[in-house]
Amino acid sequence: MTTAPSRAVSAQRMRRLQPYLLSAPALAVIALLFLAPSIYNVILALQSLSPYQAPGDGEWVGLENFTALWGDPEFGRAAFNTVFWLTGMTVVLRILAGIGLALALESPVLRRWKLRGFSRTVILLPWMVPQVVAIAAWRWILDGDSGILNQVLSALGLTDGGVPFLALTSTVWWSIVAIIVWRELPFVVMVMVAGLQSIPSEQYEAAAVDGAGRWGLFRSVTLPGLRPVLTIVVLVTVIQTFNNFVYVWLTTGGGPGNYTAVLATELYNAAFFDNELGAGAAIGLVMTAIMAVFAVIYLRMTSAREESR
Amino acid sequence: MRRRTVLAAGLLAAPLAACSGGDTEGDRVFRQFDPADQAAGLLDAVELWNEEHPDYRVSMETLSPNNPQQFAREANAGSGPDIAQLAFTDVSFMAEPRILTPLDAVMEASPAEGADELLATDMTTYEGSMWAVPWTADTMALVYRPDVLERIGVTETPRDWEDLAEIAAKLTRDAGGRVHGFLFPAGAQFSSAQWFPINYHLWAHGSQLIESEGGIWRPGVETGQLVETIEYFDAFFTDGITPTSMQAVTDYGDPSIVGALGDGSCGMTFMPPAAFRAAQSAVDAELLTAPMPAGLEDGTTHLGGRALGINANCAEPEAAWEFVKHLLGPETFETYPQYPASSSTIEQIEVDPSEQGFVEQLPHAASFARYADAPMTIASLQELVNQQFSAVYSGQSSPEQAAGRIIATLEDELEE
Repeated sequence: MTTAPSRAVSAQRMRRLQPYLLSAPALAVIALLFLAPSIYNVILALQSLSPYQAPGDGEWVGLENFTALWGDPEFGRAAFNTVFWLTGMTVVLRILAGIGLALALESPVLRRWKLRGFSRTVILLPWMVPQVVAIAAWRWILDGDSGILNQVLSALGLTDGGVPFLALTSTVWWSIVAIIVWRELPFVVMVMVAGLQSIPSEQYEAAAVDGAGRWGLFRSVTLPGLRPVLTIVVLVTVIQTFNNFVYVWLTTGGGPGNYTAVLATELYNAAFFDNELGAGAAIGLVMTAIMAVFAVIYLRMTSAREESR
Repeated sequence: MRRRTVLAAGLLAAPLAACSGGDTEGDRVFRQFDPADQAAGLLDAVELWNEEHPDYRVSMETLSPNNPQQFAREANAGSGPDIAQLAFTDVSFMAEPRILTPLDAVMEASPAEGADELLATDMTTYEGSMWAVPWTADTMALVYRPDVLERIGVTETPRDWEDLAEIAAKLTRDAGGRVHGFLFPAGAQFSSAQWFPINYHLWAHGSQLIESEGGIWRPGVETGQLVETIEYFDAFFTDGITPTSMQAVTDYGDPSIVGALGDGSCGMTFMPPAAFRAAQSAVDAELLTAPMPAGLEDGTTHLGGRALGINANCAEPEAAWEFVKHLLGPETFETYPQYPASSSTIEQIEVDPSEQGFVEQLPHAASFARYADAPMTIASLQELVNQQFSAVYSGQSSPEQAAGRIIATLEDELEE
């Protein structure tokens, strides 16, 4: 027989346990789908294992997979390409073009001509095209012999003979950057449009009364108003792009030579051509470590924003 | 009841009782990786089998392109197709972790037609056992427009590599640059088809990338020879015989190559049989094949192809072997447009005269067994070689630098 005080104690205990019980399923899912693969990746990085072997058949090699990366010029080049071209260049261009297009979409002219809906739909189109299809289409456009870009350039008298954009070191990175910016720009534009719409019109009116011109309005009202959105967009696009594999792989495969190799293509080569899953996992961990820095910044900024509300 | 029926049907029917433990269509799976448009004839062969063997029906699964690692993942997890088409170069990867069934016993108990005249068995043998059976064979032949060559008075195709360079240069020169004497995919990717002529050139000049002596692997080419080979292929670009755009192309069947064959702006290129047939059907002009330069010398071109393997998880490999035997037979090749990897079966099939180049060259071709089982995979070799040659074409490296990097990487990787 249970007494009333003991029932009260167990009820109290249940209440204490309740938050843990309620969050247990979510924690289990996180542990199973995120934590376990991450731990397995660390284990793999310390092993030599071929994709043809069973998971438990790897040979422990300690930090060998990491030390092999240290001083490897191929890895250094891939890291530079990933940071500078794949991520840095494309994010900067997307942000600049994104702000410009967002301002254009929010311009009174488009509103007056009732073209805002149409323009936004057109801007979104590249984003609706699957990456693989977009890259295949761009490869045709940039083809050195029959590509439409070469035909246009030739018709305009700007080039004599086809320019093999994806085969020349002088043009290949700019071509990849163009493809990424074209395909991924709509996301930035849409977020910027939302950011512009959140800026109170009174701020513009007040600044105009104070004598601000167009540049002054942009510098003193628009940019500060966009800053919170801008920070988040930069972080999200950096994280998305840094890990991207398909753009380089399907456009050039890392060529000419290894001029456009990035960390993701190095990872793929190591794991699936050299049959060294451990080496691939090690590269993946290095990428994760770099991205973790951005993830921490992102989390801090989003939590700071939530606290300030 | 079933056991009695099987016994009554005799020894041959016994293995057909079941594989993977199932007895309905779909339980026995044959996985192949030819693109769907090339596999219609193969499906006919499978359907023919199913008509003749209603108690052991097989469903054909297409997983294109070839993905041996997926098969390995499935087989290591205790599943996967019962019978699988495998590239020659992948067989040893599957044999090492024992995810295929060794075939020696079933082959001895129930020999296949033409089994003693199989080609490329060195690619399907691992540690003394046969892990898959060679099924189809192919190689790269020179593909050319006879009318384009005749225009400059060339009636014979090049006999050696120096001949090829001369004829290609003359074709381009005489046409004022409107004709590219020789087109070849020169992309940097591991899958770039330049890998084949690069090796053919090395082999024709007595070298190979790596070699094994007494089980010890080392580079099989001197720096000087490698520089010569790099310079040979680079000259096609520097002399304007091959357009720079080819440096972004990886596939021998690329539309830019087929299109150039069609409009007569390409004199010569190279292709395997399936790509040649696809090009023929896409082009109005006559296309012919000839052996590659030096291709009639033994071992100077590669013998590629596919093998058939039985999953180690297949419950009754004897039954699966009977199906494999059916696919190896000449009836299959009546509808399946591939060359059989058996010299006796190949004699029984009709070959279009335009494919004479393949037929002449195949008996002299040698498999990539010379690179198999090395500490460095063939895919890694392809990646290294294609990248370094591409680096020279694009002006990032000199031939000496590229050759030095290739040799140094080979030494490093083989030492491991």
